[in-house]
Amino acid sequence: MDDSQPYYGAMFEGTSPRTGTDFRMKKKAYFKADEADTGLGKFKGLEVRIGTIVDDEWDEPMGPTPMPGPTTLRSWDHKILTKYQPSYMPYCQVCCLCTMGKCDLSGDKRGACGIDIKGQQARIVLAAANIGCAAHLAHSRHLIDHLIEEHGPRTELMQGPGTEIHAPVTRLVTGMRPRTLEDASLILDYCETQMTHTLSATATGQEGSWMDFESKVFHAGMIDQLSMEIADLAQVSTLGMPMADPDAPLVESGIGMMDMDKAIILTIGHNIVPAASITDYITEKRLNDQAEVGGMCCTAWDITRRDPKAKVVGPISWQLRFIRSGRADVVVVDEQCVRTDVVREAKKVHAPVISTSDKAVMGLPDRSDDPPESIIKELVSGKIDGCYISDHSIVGEVATKVAIALKPSRRKMKFFPSKKAIQKMAEDCKKCSECIRACPNDQNVMEAVLAAQTGNMEPLREVYKNCIGCARCESACPNDYDLHSWMVVAGEADCEDEKYMVRTGRGAIQDTEIRHVGQPIVFGEIPGVIAHVGCANYPSGGDDVHHMAEEFAKRRYIIVTSGCAAISMGHVRDENGQSIYERRSGAFDAGCVVNVGSCVANSHIAGAAIKIAAIFAKRNLRGNYAEIADYIHHRVGAVGISWGAMSQKAASIAAGFWRLGVPVIVGPHGSKYRRMLLGKADNERDWMVYDARTGERVPTAPGPEHLFYAAETVAEANVLTAKLVLRPNDTGKGRSIKLSHYIDIHETYYGFFPEDIWKYIRRETDIPITLKDKILAQMKENKWKERKIPDPTLLKEQVIGGGA
Amino acid sequence: MVMKPVPWQTGEICGPESAKSLTKPDVLKRDLSKAKKLLLIVGSEAPDEKHGKGDMVDYAIALSKAGKMDVIATGGAIKAFIEKGFEGAKTMGAMELAYRLQDPEWKGPHGRGPYDMIMIYGQPYYMQWTMLSGVMNFAPQIVPIALGRYFQPHAKWSFPNMKEKQYHTILDEILELVGGGK
Ligand code: SF4
Ligand code: SF4
Ligand code: SF4
Repeated sequence: MDDSQPYYGAMFEGTSPRTGTDFRMKKKAYFKADEADTGLGKFKGLEVRIGTIVDDEWDEPMGPTPMPGPTTLRSWDHKILTKYQPSYMPYCQVCCLCTMGKCDLSGDKRGACGIDIKGQQARIVLAAANIGCAAHLAHSRHLIDHLIEEHGPRTELMQGPGTEIHAPVTRLVTGMRPRTLEDASLILDYCETQMTHTLSATATGQEGSWMDFESKVFHAGMIDQLSMEIADLAQVSTLGMPMADPDAPLVESGIGMMDMDKAIILTIGHNIVPAASITDYITEKRLNDQAEVGGMCCTAWDITRRDPKAKVVGPISWQLRFIRSGRADVVVVDEQCVRTDVVREAKKVHAPVISTSDKAVMGLPDRSDDPPESIIKELVSGKIDGCYISDHSIVGEVATKVAIALKPSRRKMKFFPSKKAIQKMAEDCKKCSECIRACPNDQNVMEAVLAAQTGNMEPLREVYKNCIGCARCESACPNDYDLHSWMVVAGEADCEDEKYMVRTGRGAIQDTEIRHVGQPIVFGEIPGVIAHVGCANYPSGGDDVHHMAEEFAKRRYIIVTSGCAAISMGHVRDENGQSIYERRSGAFDAGCVVNVGSCVANSHIAGAAIKIAAIFAKRNLRGNYAEIADYIHHRVGAVGISWGAMSQKAASIAAGFWRLGVPVIVGPHGSKYRRMLLGKADNERDWMVYDARTGERVPTAPGPEHLFYAAETVAEANVLTAKLVLRPNDTGKGRSIKLSHYIDIHETYYGFFPEDIWKYIRRETDIPITLKDKILAQMKENKWKERKIPDPTLLKEQVIGGGA
Repeated sequence: MVMKPVPWQTGEICGPESAKSLTKPDVLKRDLSKAKKLLLIVGSEAPDEKHGKGDMVDYAIALSKAGKMDVIATGGAIKAFIEKGFEGAKTMGAMELAYRLQDPEWKGPHGRGPYDMIMIYGQPYYMQWTMLSGVMNFAPQIVPIALGRYFQPHAKWSFPNMKEKQYHTILDEILELVGGGK
């Protein structure tokens, strides 16, 4: 592309009708040329920025809150946080953040800085949201800078056919339509500023109220969502990934899918750039018959989005089992969710590690400036355990050549002990229980080891199925048993049998799809949109994710998914040997399973909800956050589920959904986020809304009842999901459909007819016809009264005529 | 590592306040005599845990009858109560419950609260740990007694990681103490 012409981007300025403050976005002109011959002389690698401002052509009127600051949406947050108050469950009662502490905050004590225990808990939640946001934002920044370098700042951004409203989150939050990589960079400038503010609020002597900490948690979540959208938009636009494509290809997945006749390069993490350099190198050099690439975690989705010949090995918690199996000849790590002991583990199986991200160098020597041949030589000879290469363009060559060179000798090696050897070693077990006490999933490792003494490997195999691969058991074992490896040996057959076809990430949802389903979703006739996202810290294996998705897909809810949850969901075969992705379409429609892609593609899930407001309800998005969030909260029956939520990133992703008023369920380990956001169903005042048509304050049934909730079991999650899709705006038909599913699921998992159905009946048309008698009896018993169906809003200014 | 009042999951240590070791039922007498409203909270693991000839749901039913305690089942454990024909239990989520107990006026799903003592078991260890943290820190009016086998530092009383046999024996003794019998 021709980069030598000056580029003029968008400019926004005006006065916010809401805050009265000036908002101004000056966008500087920018150009770059490899070589320029000017009156001043010849320049190489010229980059020029000029403070030129030109008008934007977008005719949608600017809403009240473009590029909101940390307190701009505070009043919206307070509305949500009054309805769904935090329930804190402190990890400890002390604070040790500064040298005035440790401070004992138990009871009604305050720390030396004046903070109380609720404020302190909220500060920890904000710290987590900031960490998560920073991880995505830094990832996004790296991508944008890299892609500008590679493709030039004027490279167009697009989400694909049928996505006229591209980048809905960005439009909503910033009031900007990001049309080029340069726009994307500008938006990240905004994100970085905001994140600095929210992070600074956690310092001693800054924010003091839990409510304001929590509002900033929402802000960090919103910024996180924005930075993820920018990241995915940029990579989809430039790296040849599916563009909003419901027919994104099915790709091979599972440990058993790796072709051991080829050299195997394992990539772990989230950032496509180094991994793409490998698949590109293999394609370019026609080495496909000699080497293949498998990914774990989100890098897996992004490499297969770019190159469907690559494979998805498994979710993040499979890292250790795969590395230890010795199948990978080279391990390439980028960023986020990478095991920090990867070098130590890979060394045990003589596989070199190449680290590629400045965020996760892993203690390896920097070989970025060395010629590939010399790096390859050192890695193949074993002179170094691995190296850090920041120049992604050479990662592909180095990784591929090293893997191919090492493969023949490594295939002769044996990495796991035999079952006989395990049996022998197990005889020395001290029966100390330390392995059980260390296990987050309370697996009875000791009993399994004792069974192995007799040659019975079945209990170890059972542990393998419920194991998240953390290796805490073996860290704790006084005999230094490689307990996790023993489980993998016991589960060898299961491992080999891990062969699935999964649909890779499609990217955004098309406007045309939204046009098709917007009305049935808002009216409740498609009973809900359930998004399974996030990490793989499962309480009892990944099958649960599949079970939950299938339960609702068969009831014609729309299932959306991303990240490790999307991998686990595909790792179950039905009686015909098919995965959920083979059975179900990838369109955004009833009964379908939509894999949007990696973590950063989560933004498309929020984007779909936002687009429903824009397309179906014709609401303006531009800089109009509170109105759209209010719309989604009351009308779009969406629920996020992160069954294995583990990371701070999952916390910030959830926070982005909370600010949009979308409830999130996590698995039992999610209770360790230490703070839920819970409604009180019986507190009628909490469920009052304005009827936008009349301005009247009217009661509604609690829907959604909670905003953040850790479920103890799949049963509880299923019942709760069916309930959390209820929205005040459901039509009679929609409400009756949603209630039929809620009742059926409640009876299936809890064994009885739910006692709160009467609360959700507004008029007789809401009653599911087949259950009429039972429900009428319940209504009578509870002295039910007919209620009107309002045009619900929490915002007085949404009342027609301004609510005066 | 058994019979020590230390958190069962090694990393789950707590702050300055920690539970007392419940090694014999008699230590509960004082608190029991002061308690006006008892609530028994039973989690999803109870149906799979054996006790005597039955399971820990049977034990809950017996304890509830003996001590006139309302029962709230969490995580879907309600199904087991219903299958056993016990009508007195209600269902709630563990997280919801930890939150609502913080309200000193909360009457609970049976409408018979507010409660001033809870007995609890059957949730995943770490989840009960966080629940009890909520109760310990924000519901000072409640005396929490953990009846699971493993030590829960955020209770007032908790078993010190008991050996299985000993645990089931002491459970029966507690049943007797609250008015039931073998
Ligand atoms: S930040 Fe406040 S509560 Fe924490 S250690 Fe310092 S003075 Fe104590
Ligand atoms: S590796 Fe598996 S069995 Fe061992 S502690 Fe972790 S989850 Fe438990
Ligand atoms: S920690 Fe090791 S020695 Fe102790 S019980 Fe477990 S396997 Fe045996």
